[in-house]
Amino acid sequence: MSRGPFLFSDIDKPGLAALDVYAQGGGYETVKATLGKVPADQVIEVVKASGLRGRGGAGFPTGLKWSFVPKASPKARYIVCNADESEPGTFKDRELMEKNPHLLIEGMILAGYAIGSNLGYIYLRGEFEYIQRILDRAIAEARAAGFLGDSVMGTGYKFQVHTHLGAGAYICGEETALLSSLEGFRGQPRLKPPFPAVEGLYACPTVVNNTETLMAVPAILKNGAAWYRQWGTEKSAGTKVLSVSGQVKRPGNYEVPLGYSMKQLIEVECGGMKDGLRVKAVIPGGSSVPLLPAADLDTGLDYESMNAKGTFLGSGGVIVIDNQTCIVDALWNITRFYEHESCGKCTPCREGTYWMSEVLERLENGHGKPEDIDLLADVADNILGKSFCALGDAAAMPVQGALKHFREEFEHHVTHKTCLANRRRAEVAGVGA
Amino acid sequence: MAKVTVDGRTVEVPAGTLVTDAARAAEVHVPIFCSHQKLPPLGACRICVVEVGTPKLGPDRQPVIGADGTPEIAWMPKVQTGCTTTVSDGMHVRTVSETAVKARKGVMEFLLVNHPLDCPVCDEGGECQLQDLAFAFGHDFSRMDEAKRTFDSEDLGPIVKKEANRCIVCMRCVRYCDEVMGENALTAHQRGVYTEISSFDRQPLACEQCGNCIEVCPVGALTALPYRFKARPWDLRQHITICEWCPNGCSVRLGVRGMEILRARGTEFRGVNQEYLCARGRFGHEFVNAPDRLTAPLVRTGAALQPATHDEAVAYASARLRDIAATHGPEAIAFLGGEKLNIEEQYLLQKLARAVIGTPHVDARTRPAAAVAGDALLRATGGGRPALSFEALTDAQEVLVLFEDLQGEAPFAQANIVRGFRQRDLHVTVAHSRRVKLARPRFKGDWLGLKPGTELALTLGLTRAALELGVPDGMPAEAAKALSASVAAFTPEKTEAETGVASAAITAAARRMREASRKALLFGRGVLEHAAAPVLLQAIENLAWSVGAITAETSSVMAFGPHHDSAGALEMGLTPDHLPGFVAAGDPAARAAYEKVWGRALPGEGSSARAALAAAAEGKVRALWIFSDELLSSAPDRALVERALEKCELVIINEMFLTRTAARAHVVFPVAAFAEKEGSTVNSERRLQKSNRALSPRRGARADWEVLQSVAQALGADWRYRSAEDVFREIARVVPGFRGLSYASLLPQGVQLSGPALAPRLQPVAPVAPAASAAGEGLWLLSGGTLFADGSLSARSNTLAKLAGSARVHVSPAEASRLGVGAGDMVELAGPAGSARFAVEVDDSVPAGAVFVPSAGSELNRLGAPSLAGLRVQARKAGAAATVGA
Repeated sequence: MSRGPFLFSDIDKPGLAALDVYAQGGGYETVKATLGKVPADQVIEVVKASGLRGRGGAGFPTGLKWSFVPKASPKARYIVCNADESEPGTFKDRELMEKNPHLLIEGMILAGYAIGSNLGYIYLRGEFEYIQRILDRAIAEARAAGFLGDSVMGTGYKFQVHTHLGAGAYICGEETALLSSLEGFRGQPRLKPPFPAVEGLYACPTVVNNTETLMAVPAILKNGAAWYRQWGTEKSAGTKVLSVSGQVKRPGNYEVPLGYSMKQLIEVECGGMKDGLRVKAVIPGGSSVPLLPAADLDTGLDYESMNAKGTFLGSGGVIVIDNQTCIVDALWNITRFYEHESCGKCTPCREGTYWMSEVLERLENGHGKPEDIDLLADVADNILGKSFCALGDAAAMPVQGALKHFREEFEHHVTHKTCLANRRRAEVAGVGA
Repeated sequence: MAKVTVDGRTVEVPAGTLVTDAARAAEVHVPIFCSHQKLPPLGACRICVVEVGTPKLGPDRQPVIGADGTPEIAWMPKVQTGCTTTVSDGMHVRTVSETAVKARKGVMEFLLVNHPLDCPVCDEGGECQLQDLAFAFGHDFSRMDEAKRTFDSEDLGPIVKKEANRCIVCMRCVRYCDEVMGENALTAHQRGVYTEISSFDRQPLACEQCGNCIEVCPVGALTALPYRFKARPWDLRQHITICEWCPNGCSVRLGVRGMEILRARGTEFRGVNQEYLCARGRFGHEFVNAPDRLTAPLVRTGAALQPATHDEAVAYASARLRDIAATHGPEAIAFLGGEKLNIEEQYLLQKLARAVIGTPHVDARTRPAAAVAGDALLRATGGGRPALSFEALTDAQEVLVLFEDLQGEAPFAQANIVRGFRQRDLHVTVAHSRRVKLARPRFKGDWLGLKPGTELALTLGLTRAALELGVPDGMPAEAAKALSASVAAFTPEKTEAETGVASAAITAAARRMREASRKALLFGRGVLEHAAAPVLLQAIENLAWSVGAITAETSSVMAFGPHHDSAGALEMGLTPDHLPGFVAAGDPAARAAYEKVWGRALPGEGSSARAALAAAAEGKVRALWIFSDELLSSAPDRALVERALEKCELVIINEMFLTRTAARAHVVFPVAAFAEKEGSTVNSERRLQKSNRALSPRRGARADWEVLQSVAQALGADWRYRSAEDVFREIARVVPGFRGLSYASLLPQGVQLSGPALAPRLQPVAPVAPAASAAGEGLWLLSGGTLFADGSLSARSNTLAKLAGSARVHVSPAEASRLGVGAGDMVELAGPAGSARFAVEVDDSVPAGAVFVPSAGSELNRLGAPSLAGLRVQARKAGAAATVGA
């Protein structure tokens, strides 16, 4: 059964991670057809025309990003794959790389060719050690077959790919922090400008793309921009892999056209909710985005529709929150994550996440005061837009979203000193279902 | 230029200025923590958030004009950090709007979330930026009821106390240590709210111990252990004066309570150094408070020195001087030392010698083994041209350091080079036998590790390599030709054979210097106290012209003397052959101007300090007046000093302490320390700076100029100086180069003197045969100042003495195994004149075939002369019973 239009169409094909199986399905054909035959500028134009946007969360147009690399720079250029997939609720890149590593290598060759880079790095999160082995094996195969090396397929274009394992920090998914970490420094974001496209890795022009983005490139170049635009909306073209988690019957990765209905995703693809639970809210794009209450479930899964509802498509980590989950508890969990992962560089994020986590702990445990709710809102507001990078915003937005849609649950904690409903607590305590 | 409006005040600033700097120009206060003028923007603390807007552009890309006739402003949706945002023309900045204030108050509240608010027991309290800003922008209550995260406090060595609870993670300390000091001693551990600054291995800091991390810390997270719990800042009188530890002339802000200096700090936006101080400048002031300061003049009665009143001491000294001058002629009196004095005192010193007593024997330079002409250094540094400044040094593309370990001799110059390397495009080449700090791989420079004793050969080799590239602009063609011919033999290959420096490295170094448009050539005591100093100085002058470091208009050469006012001593004529202002003493016509002002015939040229000591040893000179100079340990020939002191009828010493030399004197005048008197000094940039009195002289001590005046008056001179400023007025009237200057003109920043314009001499120098003492077998004895041990005063500063430990002999690992010794073992060094024992320190910066002993506190002159360069010694492992020293 096909799990998606093209990225996931044959993802479960046995042995796809091996070069021969991948090549049977048309693998590396795009490299052969592009390198030395299509000018690099034209490659960028096709990607621009396809409307492909960064799939890591920010949704920045990929072709535009590539075109920012200065043409005249005498420095080396780098293409870096951001495979530090650490956004809670997101697990798409993991499956893609695990099962189809050659597609990523092919995407990197093409992206490298487009920006004139001879060296690519795949930056993997620390826990992806086993994926590093899969990728390293695939890179060795590709090198042996001549797809990587001093002259790729005899075209004279030199391209190498290396994998690099991070040390386990969420912040290293932020592109400048990723580059600092890759250089061997403390993983902390850098000041922009200069943007990586001008001064990135080792102060050289660098493009950092998400794994899914790079994997979409070969098919786009093979079939053309119009083919890619058959899916999605005008501004959000193509498909997106969504990682669904929570109390649904079939959690997992689903590749759907952008603009697909959230309701349909949960009810059709995922088979609806387990154990008679109902949807209370959905976090549509990884824990960093404000949640979407159940009333808004018919919102389209594309960048613009989500923005209109005050949230973001983000990385596509769809976390379904059921009616037996306490929002305060869930939010405390999320905030603890950001407190733990704040890099400590800037004041609002470093101190604010700690503070919010402390207040939420008190609220959840029934020691909250009425003014705590406004305090939380104000602390979140003092972080939002004042932090150095988006991590601070990512910590503040879920708090604001939860307060906006579920304020009564917070008030219930203050007045009743307990949760409205809390399946997790009940399970931990050994009572209830 | 860009027009920026900050809170309605419009200023014009250069494009690319940061918003915080533009606000300062507009006199609007924007607070900062992580931002620092010597560090690149970081944007971490967020306290400088402001609202920023730019003129709204219409579809025609022209500014949209609003209803009131002014351009409409498009305000950015988010607040921006002023320390990272650069201005653009027409930009508007709001610091007091509701949004900006809310954001800033929010950040302020966050900063205090985990701050312990232990201000009453914090050394920073009262001058803490966080405290000040909390007062200005903070709430008067805390909404944070939760438990704060806590860390244990830590002592990072003998200087730095760390209280991480107070830390606001601005990273100034880590970045300053890295980018200005080049030490990389600090780092941040962990992340998020658990971020903690410490050393990498949480061991005591192994660094320069400069304490600049403490200085730049905006809160009390890093405080100085020597000052811990000593005072509250509002109880201190703070005086900015000039540091007396090296020729860099840093401004140091002394915190004084009662009669005690409790601390020293730098001051942002003041002096050449601003916030920077080295370990000596910051912690070396303790000698001023030392309990063994002399408190009464001493006069020798029989075998013993007996306390006397000032009047008695002055009467005795003047009577004896008059006697000796009358019996043996004024030439029987010599004046030695004076490089540590202020220029006013230096001026009076030589005026007393020349115009009151009538002796020509005046020489401040007691350390060189050879007689160096008074204007040789001026020629080698391109006198008459605008002198190289520290700012220009940082900005240089190529810096060539000749035979000098800047860490010990000029720490601030080293910091400038490190910063130039880290932040600009500076490349450094260090010619030194030891792999000194700047020659380490981390600074990506070139190290010309020459064999000891081949300094001249390397200089000549570099000169030849430079002239091979053609005659630089502005160099007299004839002289260049003669010079080329004279160094023709020093091909890179021959130079390599002689010096051990690779020929390619020599050629490349000369080429880099020649091709750099901004360059600097630095040298110091390694040259001035070299056995062949006069020849070497001439060779360096030739090299400077050949690489274009001196041109017709500019000079990019800086020299570091041994003391903080060594340059002033040259200006003030404390040399046997020059009167103040480099007026030749041997030229009757030139002398005439001074004869007219001072009202008597002046003697001609005198003899150098070394020659005066020799004459004293022979009985020709019968009286010596020594100014704050511990000759017995610092003069190159200790035996000669012993004989001279023995033989002289009268030895007068101006000193703060009863040093070994002072104990041999007939009259000892207790004098004021640098912080106890007013005056002015000249640093290595030849910048004339005002130094100020921070506290009254120690009871019984007087400033040197007062002592000089008392004696001059007793000798019948009509001197009526009421203050050092009176003397300065006379200097400004009579000394060429100082005309028109006043104390007022030295504030807030002193002026750089250029000295008289001298025609380039560019004499070819002949390679000299190695000195007799340099021949023979044995290890080369290398010496020099180190950061923590520098002269006789560092031993009297507890903190420095603790940091320095006892003098050790540094040997390379190879040499250590050859000698069969390890760290801590005793080694006996035997020179032609004697021997001394030292504990061993294994040090890979010392080349094989040599040993290094810090010059201070080690009394190397017991081994033979000269002590700084060109001496071979025998080393052997000493028995277990041997103790430190001999």
